[in-house]
Amino acid sequence: MTKYFGGLAAVNGLDFDVSRGELVGLIGPNGAGKTTVFNLITGFIWPSKGKVIFKGKDITGQKPHLIAKTGIVRTFQATTLFSHFSVLQNIVAACYLKSEVNFWGAIFHTSNSLKKEEGVLRRAFEIVRFVGLEAFKDHPTRGLPHGYKRILGIAVSLAADPQLLLLDEPLSGMNAEEVDRAVTLIRRIWERGTTILLIEHNMRAAMNLCHRIIVLEMGRKITEGTPEEVKANKEVIKAYLGTGRHDT
Amino acid sequence: MSKKKLLKLLSYSFLTLVIFLLPLFIRQPYILHVLIMMGVNIILASSLRFIATSGQFSLAHAGMVSIGAYASPLLVMKQGFSFWVTFPIAGATSMIIACLIGYPFARLKGIYFTMVTLFLTEFIKLIAEQWRGLTGGVYGITGIPRPNAIIIPELLNVSFSSKVDFYYLALIMVIVTLLILYAIESSRIGMTFLSIQQSDLLAESVGVNSTGFRVLAFSIGCFFAGLDGAFYSHYLSAIAPGSFGFLLSIYAFIYMVVGGRRKFSGPIIGAIILTLIPELSRGFKEYEPFVFAGILLLVILLLREGVVSLPERLNKIIKRRFSHA
Repeated sequence: MTKYFGGLAAVNGLDFDVSRGELVGLIGPNGAGKTTVFNLITGFIWPSKGKVIFKGKDITGQKPHLIAKTGIVRTFQATTLFSHFSVLQNIVAACYLKSEVNFWGAIFHTSNSLKKEEGVLRRAFEIVRFVGLEAFKDHPTRGLPHGYKRILGIAVSLAADPQLLLLDEPLSGMNAEEVDRAVTLIRRIWERGTTILLIEHNMRAAMNLCHRIIVLEMGRKITEGTPEEVKANKEVIKAYLGTGRHDT
Repeated sequence: MSKKKLLKLLSYSFLTLVIFLLPLFIRQPYILHVLIMMGVNIILASSLRFIATSGQFSLAHAGMVSIGAYASPLLVMKQGFSFWVTFPIAGATSMIIACLIGYPFARLKGIYFTMVTLFLTEFIKLIAEQWRGLTGGVYGITGIPRPNAIIIPELLNVSFSSKVDFYYLALIMVIVTLLILYAIESSRIGMTFLSIQQSDLLAESVGVNSTGFRVLAFSIGCFFAGLDGAFYSHYLSAIAPGSFGFLLSIYAFIYMVVGGRRKFSGPIIGAIILTLIPELSRGFKEYEPFVFAGILLLVILLLREGVVSLPERLNKIIKRRFSHA
């Protein structure tokens, strides 16, 4: 897998790749362009120059829903959910790609569409159990504690069956206990064979989770390497960890 | 659970039966006319709400009604088609136009979409006023023939010479429309509309073509608006562009909001109430828009989820009273 961008002011001549089965972190100070990178990969914005290549295919300039279909699914930095739905409904709705039925089948409940619906429900249950939100499955999304909302955000993205999962600050706003649980979840998702690229400000968790870390500053890559290498890199310390406190 | 469902089904069928038998007891043409207009407004508001489930508020409904209202009589009068052929064609015409316009329109979201649909209504009205050769200009079309009679020897003889026949036609149209809209809404497709309404970004990120679905909702809603228009023109036997101005779009919107747009029954209740109110206060006919605006404001201030949420609200209030005591 190769991804390559360049030319955008917010992301400047950035070039990096993620291989199948990796768990890569993307870090950098606020405004470094991390979320922009996600938006570029998933087609929410288009690069002015450069290419996004996924599984050897150029997916630059494709619409977000088509990119999701190829297997790249993202989460959002601000908790984005279907807030009027229950927890389970959120996941069922997100199983859209697995449940594409034709128009008439959906309306007249043909046996084929019913079978598919059943499959979707089973799948949604599996995901709810996998992320540990089983006790909340009929809970309205609105009143859910923040930590669970973030987890549900990840669950929704899992429903689309990603090969490459892009997590935008999955741990933001969580307390220590919630962070531990989310880190375990992310690792388990990775163990199931999903490639993960994540943006994170929680340094300790990011260093702990990721095999490789890419550091961005002002839209440029200043370094990349294993957590140890990155930690030792002088430029990184100067740009980002400068004050000496390693955890946020 | 199944007992509750059975009860619901029974009460609905009873209600339908009563509505079906109504003309046996009510023979005054005036009351039948009000009931027929109620049906027209129910379809108008329900199809508008259907579009709204995908997160877009359309003010193009008056335009779409007028497309249907012109298409059907023009085909009947100039081409000699039967009403039963032109009736679905009228719906399809609105739908095709909605589909073609929907793609560029659906790129706009929220209030911007609403604004272009408002212009569309005015644009269609202008065409109807200016294209005199076809549409009869501001005077519109008069002498629109009644729907062709349905005659099955010894069984059925419907000639549409009385209001009762139109009543049944309207009733069947309302039932079929509501059944179709409900079937779509409670299906997978309806769920996808709702998810787009709540967050189109999230829906897109899990692979939903949100533009496509919004155009689909818009087209289906406009199909029923077109049907509604065709019925309206053949029922009243005369149409003029003046009756399809943006005020009609606003009225459809008010029916929906007053009834409650979150529930399927909302626009139905809203249309029923707001068809009755002007009839009960005939003396204030010229102040109708003010009355409607006043009701709308009251509902928005006091009952944000519309009249259908009233039982729920009362329940809550009673419970609170009791717990305090």
